[in-house]
Amino acid sequence: MRKTKSLINNLDWPLFIGFISLIVFGLITIYSVAFNEEHPNIFSFSEKYGKQIMWIGIALFLGVMVFLIDSDIYKKYAFPIYLATLSLLVIVLFMPPINGARAWLGVGSMGIQPAEFAKISTALLLSKYVSSLNMRDLNPTNVLLALLILLVPMVLILLQPDAGTFVVFTAFFFVLYREGLTFDPFLLKFVNLIPKVRFKQTWLGSHFIPILFVFVFLSIITLLFGERNIPLIPGLKLYGSVGIISTLFILGAIGTFFVQRFGLKRAKSKAQLVIILCFILGSGVSLTVEKSFGSLAQHQKDRIELFLGLKEDPNGKDYNRNRAMAAVGSGGLLGKGYKNASVSSVRTNHVPESETDFIFCPFAEEWGFIGSFSLVAVYIFIIVRILIVAERQRSQFNRIYAYSVGMFFFYHFAVNLGMNIGFAPVIGIPLPFFSYGGSSMLSFSIMVFILLKLDSQRRHVLR
Amino acid sequence: MNIENRRYVIIAFIITVGVMYIFRLFYMQVIDDSWSDRAHQISEKRREITPPRAVIFDRNHTKIVANKTYFNLMVIEDKMGPNFDTLAFAELIGWTKQEIHERFAEIIKGEGIYYNRHNNTRISNYQRIRPYPFLKELTKAEMAKIAPYLDAFPGFFEEETSMRFYPYPNAANILGYLSEVNAKEVKEDNFYKPSYNIGRAGIERYYEKELRGLKGVHYVVRSALNNDVKKYEDGIYDTVAQQAPPIELGLDIKLQAYGEKLMKNKKGCIVAIEPKSGEILSMVSAPSFDPNLLVGRKNVSRHYPKLLKNKDKPLYPRPTQAEYPPGSIFKLVQSLVGLQEGVIEPNTSFACNKSLVGCHNHPAPSSIERAVQYSCNPYFYYAVKRIIQQGKENSVFKDAAVGLTLWDKYMRSFGFGEKLQSDLTGLRSGIIPNTKFYDHWYGKHKWAFSTIRSIAIGQGEVKMTPLHMANLAVIMANKGWYYDPHFAKKIGEVPVTSFKKHQTMVEEKYFEPVISGMWSVVNEEAGTAGRARIEGIDICGKTGTVQNPHGEDHSVFIAFAPKENPQIAIAVIVENAGFGGTWAAPIASLMIENYLTKDCKHPEKELRVLKANLLEP
Repeated sequence: MRKTKSLINNLDWPLFIGFISLIVFGLITIYSVAFNEEHPNIFSFSEKYGKQIMWIGIALFLGVMVFLIDSDIYKKYAFPIYLATLSLLVIVLFMPPINGARAWLGVGSMGIQPAEFAKISTALLLSKYVSSLNMRDLNPTNVLLALLILLVPMVLILLQPDAGTFVVFTAFFFVLYREGLTFDPFLLKFVNLIPKVRFKQTWLGSHFIPILFVFVFLSIITLLFGERNIPLIPGLKLYGSVGIISTLFILGAIGTFFVQRFGLKRAKSKAQLVIILCFILGSGVSLTVEKSFGSLAQHQKDRIELFLGLKEDPNGKDYNRNRAMAAVGSGGLLGKGYKNASVSSVRTNHVPESETDFIFCPFAEEWGFIGSFSLVAVYIFIIVRILIVAERQRSQFNRIYAYSVGMFFFYHFAVNLGMNIGFAPVIGIPLPFFSYGGSSMLSFSIMVFILLKLDSQRRHVLR
Repeated sequence: MNIENRRYVIIAFIITVGVMYIFRLFYMQVIDDSWSDRAHQISEKRREITPPRAVIFDRNHTKIVANKTYFNLMVIEDKMGPNFDTLAFAELIGWTKQEIHERFAEIIKGEGIYYNRHNNTRISNYQRIRPYPFLKELTKAEMAKIAPYLDAFPGFFEEETSMRFYPYPNAANILGYLSEVNAKEVKEDNFYKPSYNIGRAGIERYYEKELRGLKGVHYVVRSALNNDVKKYEDGIYDTVAQQAPPIELGLDIKLQAYGEKLMKNKKGCIVAIEPKSGEILSMVSAPSFDPNLLVGRKNVSRHYPKLLKNKDKPLYPRPTQAEYPPGSIFKLVQSLVGLQEGVIEPNTSFACNKSLVGCHNHPAPSSIERAVQYSCNPYFYYAVKRIIQQGKENSVFKDAAVGLTLWDKYMRSFGFGEKLQSDLTGLRSGIIPNTKFYDHWYGKHKWAFSTIRSIAIGQGEVKMTPLHMANLAVIMANKGWYYDPHFAKKIGEVPVTSFKKHQTMVEEKYFEPVISGMWSVVNEEAGTAGRARIEGIDICGKTGTVQNPHGEDHSVFIAFAPKENPQIAIAVIVENAGFGGTWAAPIASLMIENYLTKDCKHPEKELRVLKANLLEP
């Protein structure tokens, strides 16, 4: 009795309600998209909405199970769990391929994707390992081991191949950055070889991860907007690096304004310098990428363009994106109305996978900007809330795990929505709790319930 | 930077991404309309539905132009699947494997082509997911052989189309035919799209707009596989295709069929008109052909070249385009003009002076009536000389010019030398030589009647189409007036009133003696057209024998009947058949008899005509 009461008191309700609302809206959208007049009942298990309800039920059941288990076991058994999922990732490579990827274990529609669960187990082991480290005194072995925990499942996933989940695994770099795991141990080894230099830390080493991300982000954006003749700033017909540089300039100008107006006196000059440096670096990266891309051989260009979805190929990555954007863009302010999606409904099938990876299309088409704004707001709220939950943890293990969950959410949200609005390459990853599909529903539920359980027991750490 | 502060960097980054996404969504969904347009383009289809063309009836409400259902065997390449058994399919449709491959190549190259209105280019728009006709215009029987086995060939299915069908194998020259529109027509008229049919000749061409009907438009939501999913907005913008109301012609299809039968193995034509209305009852162009030969692309490509190459020119619309010298029938007009001008009287007589112009042996023409009856050439030489040379000028040349100008005015009041107004296309005007014509030929004031005398007997420069000749018969029957000869009687329930009544320059009273002469031509012993005599019907006619420098003379006969309250006026021309009374006259009389009595009292006469083969061997 006391236990139940403490659970209700300790559960993070805002987060829980956020998840439930996503599940409900996802189900409503699946019901609209996959609606079959012959089986109008939402509980028809022959239809996708019926199956989704079944998955939701299983997920809630697993959630209760997770709550009944003591949270200590995750830290305790992190390594065996990790090994178990790794072996599943190896086994799955010997399965017959479905849609060109050996990603599924099991039979038909009831199969599961071990890669989804590898996210959880990797998060647990990484949390356990990194929390045991002393960040002020790292040696290269520590960094290597942390990277190894990440890279082994990543390589196995790439072998399937499953580019989407592979990309999602890079979310861990944000977590490592937050925890202060730097690449300084490597850099310092080289830098301190120089006579009379004795650095304790380098700027590049400690900020290596965000710099890398900015670099990749700018490169992709440059290529995306260079080839597609879509102006980055609406109304200004500036493409490619010119567009990026103009955008950076405008952002820099806005930043300068804020620094000069609101900045602390002693920080002003330093902040201004940072802005100017960022602008020069960003422009340099953008120009370099564009120039070097231009000098590539045609087949290399093709491969990159295919990956980014810039090239129209028969199987049509650009076709998908084009249809998806048309569906989203045609939603207007208020949308076409529930069950009125004409581009992205399964019946017209212009947008493939409109109940799984492209589920944002029918949602945005039917609910318009009001709906898509609300959905973005709910996701951002959930992600930020997870990070707030993470920051209030007393145990570092809990915090690292929570950060991992938060960043997974962010990745899935940003990439999935991004490919619907032309901001990201077409990579097939589901929208958490929203897309149809058992694997994604179960793995995200377990992931989130573990987080809620850890959070509800955060005070136990001191006892 | 303190490591603890990195949390703000990450949160700021996440919120920035969220704000960027919201701005982007706002721009895409609310501000920029182009994605919305793109969505319409992708998911909606404006499907035009063309109704079957209007049917056509004859004057007795017999259906003479109908529509028949045909089938196209359609194919969607995308649905064919990898296991398409070319050999089995070839066997089914009776083709070789090679032909099937060629047909696919042809479809990919040609069928998807559409005309881009905006930049005047033709673009191949072939898409694997769209249906294209693999075999076109199969009959129900042909389709029935294939249809049961189509299940074995996914991607193939049948589609209904409507094409013309002519219950009577007659009147091809009147009704015309359809063929596919060309790029220019598509460009000029929004109604047409490539592969639509358009009337190419005859009634189908002239009444194209009245026959094609109103297109219906359906807006449908379309799937990625090009299937219709549902009506757009529950069909509130949809319109229904409307077939145009039927057109009723003045044509009598039975008479037409009879005429074509009589003209078998002959070259020439028959034009029969109802005098009081100007409605054309029959218009035979011999040799004729079955209009069903030119229905659909397949038939056209098979039969059109043959018809075009035939030495007897069945495609040549003789009644409206062949120009013959009228011969002796022109004498009727000369008598009328002479009487109207007062240069001759009904009982004026001239000697049959064969030294002036050749003639045959006949009693002396003591009056106009007799002159017409005997078709006396010298008589009309004198009469027309009096018309042309009225002595109003001192110079015989100037006098001839004044006279010819007057004569020309008369001729044009009869519709000669001009295109008659009609609902036929491609009419020729014939030739009535005027002063300008002869000035050009001989020089100004260098010609007189003696130079141009052959016009008096309808030879030389004068030329008329058979339609003009039939119209002359109409004028004789009506005693001085005619309606534009035409086909359409009613469009739907609305009578066609656009055809005008024309008055000639000759008063009614002057017609009596000439018509008496015409009666005598047929009904008196010394007349030139005894073969046209029919017991119980007062036929008035006039023979003509048209000199033909290229061979045997053409046999011409015009007539109307009955003498009182005429019901039918007719012109018959039989090429290379000699004297007018020999072949043209009996054919005309058989037509008249058939039309007035639906009977034939002289089967031996009919048999003689039917047996005759007047084509050059």
